[in-house]
Amino acid sequence: MSFGVILSQLGGGMVKSIEIFVLTLLFSLPLGLFVALGRMSKLKILSGIIKIYIAIMRGTPLMLQLIVVYFAPYYVFGINISSGFRFTAVIIAFSINYAAYFAEIFRAGIQSISIGQWEAAQILGYNKAQTFFKIILPQVIQRIIPPVTNETITLVKDTSLSFVLSIAEMFTIAKQIGAREASIIPLMIAGLFYFIFNYIVAFGMDRFEKKMSYFR
Amino acid sequence: MAEVLVEIKNLKKTFENGTEVLKDFNLSVNKGEVVSIIGPSGSGKTTALRCATMLTPISGGSISYLGKKATWEENGTVHVANKHDMKEIKQSFGLVFQNFNLFPHYTVLQNITDAQIHVAKVPKSEAIDRAVNLLDRLGLSDKRDFYPCNLSGGQQQRVSIARALALQPKVLFFDEPTSALDPELTGEVLKVIKQLASEHMTMIIVTHEMQFAREVSDRIVFMEGGVIQAEGTPDELFNAIGNTRFLEFVGKYNM
Ligand SMILES: Nc1ncnc2c1ncn2[C@@H]1O[C@H](COP(=O)(O)OP(=O)(O)O)[C@@H](O)[C@H]1O
Ligand SMILES: [Mg+2]
Repeated sequence: MSFGVILSQLGGGMVKSIEIFVLTLLFSLPLGLFVALGRMSKLKILSGIIKIYIAIMRGTPLMLQLIVVYFAPYYVFGINISSGFRFTAVIIAFSINYAAYFAEIFRAGIQSISIGQWEAAQILGYNKAQTFFKIILPQVIQRIIPPVTNETITLVKDTSLSFVLSIAEMFTIAKQIGAREASIIPLMIAGLFYFIFNYIVAFGMDRFEKKMSYFR
Repeated sequence: MAEVLVEIKNLKKTFENGTEVLKDFNLSVNKGEVVSIIGPSGSGKTTALRCATMLTPISGGSISYLGKKATWEENGTVHVANKHDMKEIKQSFGLVFQNFNLFPHYTVLQNITDAQIHVAKVPKSEAIDRAVNLLDRLGLSDKRDFYPCNLSGGQQQRVSIARALALQPKVLFFDEPTSALDPELTGEVLKVIKQLASEHMTMIIVTHEMQFAREVSDRIVFMEGGVIQAEGTPDELFNAIGNTRFLEFVGKYNM
């Protein structure tokens, strides 16, 4: 099997991995923000439930969460699972897992903003939503870029876990080809793919961090 | 007849941890008056301003603006004005903080225009005109596109004064506007406040700058231990037969 053929087969897996990555970020970042707000809510029940949710997401393996999300419709609601649900289950599981981590990052970021910023906004007459979205959040985003970058890089590598639901992402395909050809080369190429992917992510985040450093 | 802008009656404040900070604080300020509040650290000056500006709930007494009650206590329950009245009340005052609290992600111009546009609903072009005008008056014309982190403390405090003035409050509170500044920078801020006083801006100023308070104030309030110990015109208080505690306090400032 030629190098070109291996690459073209791996190509489809790469696209899947990138899809998982992009969709997870798209859903987990906003979700994480709202989870953080709920976590800081004065409503004890709400913040309590969210604390438990975060503890479960951080305290159990993501691989197990993928399996649970996939089988939940059947075991909880008795719905027959179609195989088309596998990809959806991957996105749901990744999104709620990463939202928990992002929520804690958002929470730390929000709490690092001085109370004086809230008070100045209150005196100037901004309402709560304006204060949060116009005054506080931009400052929070600037401060949390480094920890968000870390999580994002972890996510690139974590996409390979979706093999447990037989998603034909990069790593799954590399393993298949490797087994069939009795060669380690496909896995090496997969490793290179993750490395380059992460290099691009880190580069992009670095640019974003520089762009956001116009204020202190 | 002088128009009463702010009326604070029998104000009490006890914090959740049981600290009784204000015992019976009374202050009535007329339109155009400049009142300085001085007193030792911990005497409750900041707490009084924070209650007056609704940043901290009161425990007793009442606070009114233009004859409208903003917050008051009755039979152990603290009330606040309804939403409509509160909006009007909040528009009638501004507050300048000790540490400026400018919005770091906004330029000087944005700091001054944003609340005008998004809170007071002033048309954008008018908001910019107002801001440019204020910057000109406060000697900051060349700084309009700077971010706060690139300004000196004195410049930042002048921007925060401009930000407050842009909303055209009827009364402006200052909480030690120069105590976060290097000594050589206090002058430029005090000068701006004096300029406002000469334009008859109604102001309530907490300060440790005795000479400044003496020059700028129509009335000085001396606080100690959560109560007003002495109150009068600068001449009355600084006079040799003034309140002895006041003179003792002022004496520490080498006057
Ligand atoms: N949030 C708070 N909780 C409890 N005590 C407070 C709080 N804020 C201020 N105090 C106390 O109230 C007293 C007066 O404080 P403050 O009003 O800041 O005085 P000043 O501005 O005159 O220096 C101090 O003893 C301070 O410790
Ligand atoms: Mg104080």
